[in-house]
Amino acid sequence: MAMNVYLDYQSAKPVDPRVQEAMLPYFRERFGNPSSLHREGDEATKVLEGCRRTIADFINAEPDEIIFTSGATESNNLALIGYASRHKEKGNHIIISEVEHISLHNIAKYLEKDGFVVSKLPVDQYGRISVQKLVSRITPETILISIGYASNEIGTIQPIAEIGHVARERGIAFHSDGVAAEGLIPLDVQRDVIDLLTLSSNDIYGPQGLGVLYVRKGMRLNPLIIGGGQERGLRSGTENIAGIVGMSTAAEIMGQEMEEEVKRLAKYRDILIKDILERIPKTHLNGHPKDRLANNAHFRFEAIEGESLLLSLRDAGVSAATGSACSSKTLEPSHTLISTGLLHEEAHGSLEFTFGRFNEEADVDKVIEVLPPIVERLRKLSPLYQEEKSA
Amino acid sequence: MKSTQYSEKVLDHFRNPRNVGTLEGDNVVWGEVGNPVCGDLMKIYLKVEDDKIADIKFQTFGCGSAIATSSMITEMAKGKTLDEALKITRQDVADELEGLPPVKMHCSNLAADALQEAIKNYRDQKKGKVPLPVIQKTTRPVKELVGEKEFLGKGVYHDVDDFAPFTDKRVMVVDRGPKSLEIALELTKHTGRVIVVTPGKAFSSVDAGLAKGIKQSDIKIIYESEPLEVRGSDEVEKVLVHDLDEDEEYELFVDAIIILK
Repeated sequence: MAMNVYLDYQSAKPVDPRVQEAMLPYFRERFGNPSSLHREGDEATKVLEGCRRTIADFINAEPDEIIFTSGATESNNLALIGYASRHKEKGNHIIISEVEHISLHNIAKYLEKDGFVVSKLPVDQYGRISVQKLVSRITPETILISIGYASNEIGTIQPIAEIGHVARERGIAFHSDGVAAEGLIPLDVQRDVIDLLTLSSNDIYGPQGLGVLYVRKGMRLNPLIIGGGQERGLRSGTENIAGIVGMSTAAEIMGQEMEEEVKRLAKYRDILIKDILERIPKTHLNGHPKDRLANNAHFRFEAIEGESLLLSLRDAGVSAATGSACSSKTLEPSHTLISTGLLHEEAHGSLEFTFGRFNEEADVDKVIEVLPPIVERLRKLSPLYQEEKSA
Repeated sequence: MKSTQYSEKVLDHFRNPRNVGTLEGDNVVWGEVGNPVCGDLMKIYLKVEDDKIADIKFQTFGCGSAIATSSMITEMAKGKTLDEALKITRQDVADELEGLPPVKMHCSNLAADALQEAIKNYRDQKKGKVPLPVIQKTTRPVKELVGEKEFLGKGVYHDVDDFAPFTDKRVMVVDRGPKSLEIALELTKHTGRVIVVTPGKAFSSVDAGLAKGIKQSDIKIIYESEPLEVRGSDEVEKVLVHDLDEDEEYELFVDAIIILK
């Protein structure tokens, strides 16, 4: 059997073998707890602080601004709940956008129950927020703005530095979920004027179960996990040294290889988008035509449904994703697609490909070879397509 | 259980669906059911001879289990009398397929409903009941939308002389006769997203050339629906749409709405 072609890098990435190698000694030989006052403990502290510096360099921050967490979801929780609960005397208004990751939408709901008012900025048909609209939503009560760097679904990149300046000039904290952009855009918390930035280890080919919250010096947060006071008291619990070594190694490799890698992925993306739109009629590109992540190609096929597409692609040896309601746990279509102005039935026919480090050009060829007949077969089954054709 | 964890039998019917297509001729009827939540649509065609299902075909727009249940029910119903076929339940279809993921039992298991609908249509026809004409003349009163006045000039337009402000915007045009449709067509030169909402199953009144132009364009037409309310913060952001057929309401994100007066 031919190898499966994996094109769902936004949902999970394999650990880079070099990262795995670097982690191995920390499971057995170098197992120390940084809080211990003996040789093993001292060595662990040294390793931990070295990794903190490496990751800080990756986003142009200082080492003591890096807080290790269990992953991006925890980082988002710490940023929003930790900041809002600490500053509720100052104001009760928070601004997010309609296209945030589901974790942020649910954190916002949680904060609303706690008395906060959350505004959701609408986006245009490509999924971009408007800075002008953001400004018009700010009130004297606004304490926090949280806008993701880019959409993990449709790949649209937000005008992050502009948002950062708007927030800074008004003394409002600015959080950004950087997970989708990590490893695809050089992140720089100074250039982009970010106060709180969520990062995930796996999204740069590090191990799962580890993340970072960048907390700008002077930002005060309440911790969500209370214990022995690790991570400046913001995130207690003995540090996951092996994981941290993994993420740090992954950041180091990414820092060296990102430029080349992004060029290569953007080439695959552009070939795929061009070919699919040319070869398959009644097909649309979701997301921004230019300001989109280098690895993201997101389509919408009229008159067919995304889960059927995924099942057929699985049979053909290709792994992809969809925003169709049929494949989600809640049977709701992707909120991101809906907020770009699509009807439910249109979101139904969406298909997302995300490329990554271990893809080759042959993988693009494979999709271009197998997808058109799949779409054709499903359209033959569809009453909608027949109607359109006869019309 | 994941919503896509299907039995081998479901996968077999998805990969090799039986009895796909349409039927024509005497004693042919069809039944159609849709799922308003996600837009699934199933059509089952019957050819009836001596009160038996002599032939059966289907077309389905939907997920793997929607396709598999449609395919399965055509196998189960073929050759049965109409009374026997009416007894086939959703559970029977699921059982024949060696089970469906729990979340799919309701949303994508509509084939039994479509079959029952087709049989009902057949019996109605035999009794001499005339089916409703496909094109209904719509005489719905023209109501003002909630928020229409409030957002006038902030995304609500009662007339259009300049198309420039609509460049790259998502524009909804309410079908108010030929002039509104001409505007919709003209808008496609300025933006990729034009939506026409019309209360009927076809446009209110239109000449053939204009209708053809619209069908060939990228205009998204929402039939049997009417806008109820304009929503936003300080400009139009969404429109609350009422689906008259399914009696469902949903929000659609747009930047502008054109309601000719």
